Amino acid sequence: MRCLLTILLLPVAAYAQEDLWDDDAWEEDAAGTAWTGFVEAGLGTRFSEDPLVDTRATLEDLRWRVETQWQPRGWSIELKADLGYDGIEQEAIAELRDLSLSFSVGDSTDVRLGRQVLTWGTGDLVFLNDLFPKDFVSFFAGRDDEYLKAPGNALRITHFTPLVNVDFAWSPEFDPDVYLTGERFSFFSPRAGGNVAPQPPLSALEPRATPANGEFAVRLFRTIAGREYALYGYRGFFKQPSAVTASGQATFAPLGALGVSLRQPAGPGILHLETAYYDSRDDRDGDDPRIPNDQWRFVAGYEWEAVANFTVGLQYYLERTLDYGALRANSAAPAFEAEKNRQVLTNRLTYRAGRDRYLWSLFTFYSPSDRDAYFRPAFTYRYSDQWSLSAGANVFTGSEAHTFFNQLQDASNVYLRLRLSY
Amino acid sequence: MKITFLLGSIALLAATQAPAEPAAGADDIVARANLAAYYAGDDGRSEVRMIISDAQDRQQRRQFTVLRRDVTDGGDQQFLVVFSQPSDVRGTVFLVNKHSDRDDDRWLYLPGLDLVKRISAGDKRTSFVGSHYFYEDVSGRRPSDDRHELIETTDDRYVLRHTPLDPSSVEFASYVTWIDRETYLPMKIEYTNPAGKVYRRVEVFEVGEFDGFPTVTRSRVSDLLSGGRTDMQFRYIQYDIGLPAEVFTERSLRTPPREWLARPDGED
Repeated sequence: MRCLLTILLLPVAAYAQEDLWDDDAWEEDAAGTAWTGFVEAGLGTRFSEDPLVDTRATLEDLRWRVETQWQPRGWSIELKADLGYDGIEQEAIAELRDLSLSFSVGDSTDVRLGRQVLTWGTGDLVFLNDLFPKDFVSFFAGRDDEYLKAPGNALRITHFTPLVNVDFAWSPEFDPDVYLTGERFSFFSPRAGGNVAPQPPLSALEPRATPANGEFAVRLFRTIAGREYALYGYRGFFKQPSAVTASGQATFAPLGALGVSLRQPAGPGILHLETAYYDSRDDRDGDDPRIPNDQWRFVAGYEWEAVANFTVGLQYYLERTLDYGALRANSAAPAFEAEKNRQVLTNRLTYRAGRDRYLWSLFTFYSPSDRDAYFRPAFTYRYSDQWSLSAGANVFTGSEAHTFFNQLQDASNVYLRLRLSY
Repeated sequence: MKITFLLGSIALLAATQAPAEPAAGADDIVARANLAAYYAGDDGRSEVRMIISDAQDRQQRRQFTVLRRDVTDGGDQQFLVVFSQPSDVRGTVFLVNKHSDRDDDRWLYLPGLDLVKRISAGDKRTSFVGSHYFYEDVSGRRPSDDRHELIETTDDRYVLRHTPLDPSSVEFASYVTWIDRETYLPMKIEYTNPAGKVYRRVEVFEVGEFDGFPTVTRSRVSDLLSGGRTDMQFRYIQYDIGLPAEVFTERSLRTPPREWLARPDGED
C-alpha cells in the first residue's frame, strides 16, 4: 500500500525537483575562474579603559576582500587583497594577502612564488616549528582567525618522492610577527616595570635587508599508514622583538630551530606531538641579558568529537628556557623574566548546530606557571550563504603584571563583525 | 594483488549487469547494492550541488567536485572533495582515505590559513558540510554493520529491512531500503527511530547511465521530524578515467589536481 502511494507520488516529487534546479545554471567548476570575496564591518571595544591608550575601541574595520584565481595553461595566479579603512590606526587598509604564481616542475615538484600565507606544524594556536609571520594584534582584536597568519613574500618549493617529501620556503627579507606596539594595545615593559604605550608606537629595528638576513625554513614529511611524521629546520630571527640593541632599541635576535612532529589517529580522536629546539645564535651561553636564551618547546594535544557536532581539543605546551641560571644572574630585572618552565594548557570547545548555521566555540589558554589565562569565546551565525554575523570576546586575566596574557588585561574586549560574502 | 583485482572485476560485472536470476539472499543483494551505489568503475569523477532547506524554506547551497578511487572493490576507497561554492568555502579541500579494517583518515585544507587540518574519524552519522546527508550516506555504510532481511520482492524492487548489530552506535532502530532489481541502486531508504516512527527518508528521483554504469543524478534526504531537507544533484559524471593514487595525497590539498578536476570536454 505504502509502495503504491510512493509510486503515485513520485512524479509529483520529481516535478518539484525540476523547479528547484532549473532556474539556476551550474556555477563554474572547481578549477574555473571566479571573482569572490566579502565586505565586512567589525567593531570592538574594551570592557574597561586602558589608561595608556586614548580610545576604548579595539576594532573599527571596514574591509572589502577580492579573491580570484587565473589559470593560464599549467600556471596558476592567485590574488587575495583587502581594501578598506582601519578606524583605530586611522589609515587605509590596503593589504595583499596573496599574489602568487604557482606551477609544477616535472611530475613531482610544486613551486609557489610571491606573496603568500605559509603554515605548517601540528599545534592548535600554539606554534613551535611554524616560524612564518603571525599577526597577534589582529588575533587579539577579534578579526577573523584567518588574519592570525600574516602574508609574506616567499618562494616555496615542495618536492614529492616515495621516500620523503621536502618542503622548502625562503623569504628573501625577514618577516617579523605583527607585534604589540602600544598603538591598539599597551604592553609590559621590563624597563618601565609596567605597561607602556609609547608615542610614537614601538618600532623595532629589523635586520638589514641583505640576502644573508633572509629566512630559510625546511620541512621533511611523510605519512605512513595514517601517521604523519615531520622534521623541521629554520634559520632566521626570533619573530618577536624580544632582543635589545646596545643603544636600547627593541630588535630581533638571530634564531636557528630544529624540530620534529607526529600526528596520528588514536582512539576516537587525533593525537599530535611536536617539539622544537630554539638556538639563539648570538647568545648560546644565555648570559647576554639583551638577547633571548635557547629554548626547548614541546606540545602534546588530543582532539576528538565527544558528542555529535561537539568537538573537544586539549593541549599541554611547555616552553623551557635553557641556561636559566645565567639568564637570572645577568638580568636587569630578574623578577620580570619568564619562568624557567612556562607551561600552558589549552582547551578548544566547538559546537555546530542548525545545519552549521550556528557555530559556538571557546578557546582557553591557561598557564599554571604564569598564573594567567586568555579566553576566546566566539559565536558565528550564518544567516545565509551571503550574510553572517560573528560576535566574541578576548578576555585576559592573571595575577602578575608582566606575564604574557595578563599584560593584556586592559585589552580585554568584545567584538562584532557583519560579513556579506559574494 | 592481481587476484583481488580480478575478483573485484567479476563482482563489478555482476553488479552492473541486469541479473537473469533473482538474487539468492539479503546479504547478496546488499553486497551488490553497495557496489552499485558506491563502487561503480575503478574510479570516478562527478560534480555535485546541494540545496539545504530548513523547515522555513531558508536555503543554503554547496557545490563541489568529487574524485573517487577504489583501492579494492567493495573495500578501501579514496575521496578528494574540492569545494567551489559558496564563496566562503571556495578552495576548501577534503581528503578521505576510507578503510575497511580501521577508522578512515580524513584531512581538511583551509586555504585562508594555508592549514592542513587532520579530522578525527568521529561519528559517521553527523552532517556532511551542514547538509541533511551524513558522512555515511556519502561514502557508504559497511554492509557488515547491519543484519539484513528481505521482506518483500515486488516487480521492480527488493525491499529489505536492516537492523544495526550495535544499536548504540547509530540513531536509528532499523531502516528499510527499496532496491531497484535491475540496477541494484537503492531508490528509497526510510529510517525508523527507537520510538517506531519513520523520521528520515532518502529518495532517488533520477538515474542516468554513464560509461555503462547506472548512476543516481538527483536525490533528496528529508528530516521528517524537523521538516528540513537536502536536495542533491550530480553532473559531469565519468568513470574509469584512470585516477592515479598520487591524486589522493597531501599534495592535492594545497594544489588541487586541475587535470582531473576540469570538466570533461564537450559536455555542458
